[in-house]
Amino acid sequence: MASLELVGVVKRFGATTVIQGVDLRVEDGEFVVFVGPSGCGKSTLLRMISGLEAVTEGELRIDGRRVNDVSAAERGLAMVFQSYALYPHMTVYQNMAFGLENIRTPRSEIETKVRAAAALLHLDALLDRRPTQLSGGQRQRVAIGRAIVREPTVFLFDEPLSNLDAELRVQMRTEITALHQRLKTTMIYVTHDQVEAMTMADKIVVLRGGRVEQIGAPLALYNLPRNRFVAGFIGSPRMNFLSVQVAGVGPDGVRIASDASALNAAAPLPVRGDAAVGRRATLGIRPEHIHLRRASTGEVGLTARIELLEQLGATSFLYCVLSTGEKLTVQVAGQVESRPGEEIIVSFPADRAHLFDETDDGPAFERLPARATGRAG
Amino acid sequence: MVNLARMLSATRGRGRLDWTDWASYGYLLVGLVLMFGPVLWLVLSSFKSAAALNEFPPQLLPYGQATVTLPGKSEPLPLYRVKLPDGSTRAMVELRRIGIEATMIDPSQPTEEVKVNIRDREKVREFHLALENYTEIFGKFDFMRFLWNSVFITIVATLFTLIFNAMAAFALSKYRFGGEKWVFLIIISTLMIPPTIILVPNFLVVSELGMLNSPWGVIWPAVATPTGVFLLRQYMLTIPDELLDAARMDHASEWKIFWRIILPLSAPALAVLAIFSVMWRWNDFLWPLIVLSRTENFTLQLALNAFQGELTTQWHYLLAMTVLTLLPVTLVFAFLQRYITTGIASAGIK
Repeated sequence: MASLELVGVVKRFGATTVIQGVDLRVEDGEFVVFVGPSGCGKSTLLRMISGLEAVTEGELRIDGRRVNDVSAAERGLAMVFQSYALYPHMTVYQNMAFGLENIRTPRSEIETKVRAAAALLHLDALLDRRPTQLSGGQRQRVAIGRAIVREPTVFLFDEPLSNLDAELRVQMRTEITALHQRLKTTMIYVTHDQVEAMTMADKIVVLRGGRVEQIGAPLALYNLPRNRFVAGFIGSPRMNFLSVQVAGVGPDGVRIASDASALNAAAPLPVRGDAAVGRRATLGIRPEHIHLRRASTGEVGLTARIELLEQLGATSFLYCVLSTGEKLTVQVAGQVESRPGEEIIVSFPADRAHLFDETDDGPAFERLPARATGRAG
Repeated sequence: MVNLARMLSATRGRGRLDWTDWASYGYLLVGLVLMFGPVLWLVLSSFKSAAALNEFPPQLLPYGQATVTLPGKSEPLPLYRVKLPDGSTRAMVELRRIGIEATMIDPSQPTEEVKVNIRDREKVREFHLALENYTEIFGKFDFMRFLWNSVFITIVATLFTLIFNAMAAFALSKYRFGGEKWVFLIIISTLMIPPTIILVPNFLVVSELGMLNSPWGVIWPAVATPTGVFLLRQYMLTIPDELLDAARMDHASEWKIFWRIILPLSAPALAVLAIFSVMWRWNDFLWPLIVLSRTENFTLQLALNAFQGELTTQWHYLLAMTVLTLLPVTLVFAFLQRYITTGIASAGIK
């Protein structure tokens, strides 16, 4: 059990800076997920925490103690690797006991600990097998078991589920969450899969290009993304982005206009706009917030043509194009009658929309405090 | 057996023999005769008696002249089939011979001596395995001592070769350090230097270290081999780094990682190197010849060489000893050769 603190942590490989100053605090017992596209530095950051990679600059603290120069073994952390990294020439038992043997734990104690961990992970029957004789899910459990027996203060997971098939991934996801609830140990989990991040995390750290884009609870990130990148990354299917123009700024928010002639922006978006009228901005709206109906008060309406239709039974995805050529994905509950090629009228509540600067980073416009009548978040 | 038969009767054309079948089988046959012929001849010859070896024209199989021991004679006498002047043929032994006339007697009538022209007789041959070639060398020469010297040098040198080369390969494959590529290049480039070039400097070093006439003088210079370092390094590159990281998280020291993770996982490559090393050391001749000059330190190869006297060579003993010398390395190869193929195969798949 431990808290973890990163202060201005930087990593350079030669001339390239991979991690560009990360500040982060992980509380004791928290489940933190690092998420980001590949190459964003999330695995490097994890390896720096583990001690397998040296910290170039900044400070790393575990329970307030600086550990920059403490070796990986001495930090008291345990790591589950992407490839599981099980020792192929040892049995499951030997794999799990190896770490304990190295710190000269008495044989009887090793036995108790390994058996306990095996029972916890349903590995009892497999202790004499070798990793090659196990399925992917079983290997994964052995890798976790190997981490558990050492009773680490922090668990580190490096994309542990990426080698499993979809069904097993969902199952292991719930198992790891359950494990966290049982052990109540601090866990740091790296993934590129935002679904894993959303379902497992207490706190998500979104990374891009070695920088932290946003830190927050899963729903906070979903509801109030700080910028266009986070908005696009969190949520599936992706948020729709439409290029718009600021048409007017009032106390109740920002009015927008669009080149998409059919956009009927009767309602102002409840964001604070200090921008000049006519400035370009990006409107973000999640597919699940768009309805197949005419705009009523407080809503923004659009016409779009269906290009492709995916009916999953419980939900339907409509992939549409606007008159400007911009794409718009609509997710509706249930099944729809429409056909590809059809023109449809859609609308979304203005307070569900996000407005971003039309720059690279695209920081979000600050939200106005929710009014009594407004929806939360 | 079925597989072997199928392999031996494999053809390209379906049913009838394609010309490529003729060509490949012909080529393989020539190869078989060229490679295996001398070995076969050596083994068969080692079972010939001294007399049979000196026979002309030479025989492939160990047929020797039949002999009969007569009462009152200490030596066994050679047996001939003699055509007598009366036209009959009889089996007789030769008592003595002067010029073209031999004095012979019939073993059944030992008192009756007959003078025979040597053109009127021919040797009686019989199949005879001269096993005494093998049994006698143990008494005649210090065979066991040479064998022990060879075995000691081979085993110790192979063990050292495996350990030292594995350590070098581990460092070169799993650690990043300045000049790492250069070190590897230099090691590999020593492959291009023929051993004869460095014979004299090597000798001087060994001599200065006082290892002349000691098995260690043969063992130490042979321990570091560029081939071994290269072979093991390439294999170790295929061991995922994550395993080492995992071991480091598991409190394993680098030394322990080497012994408990790297060495067991490199077993196929180590087996290949072990086979090579055993063959190199066992068959080594030039270097031991220079370092070891006292007979009691001789390896089998040196002893074989010493067998060839200046004036006479006891070929029957020499051949028997050669066969005995060939045996261990053949057995090692026969039992371990599958590791060579699995070693090469698994290097690809990981």
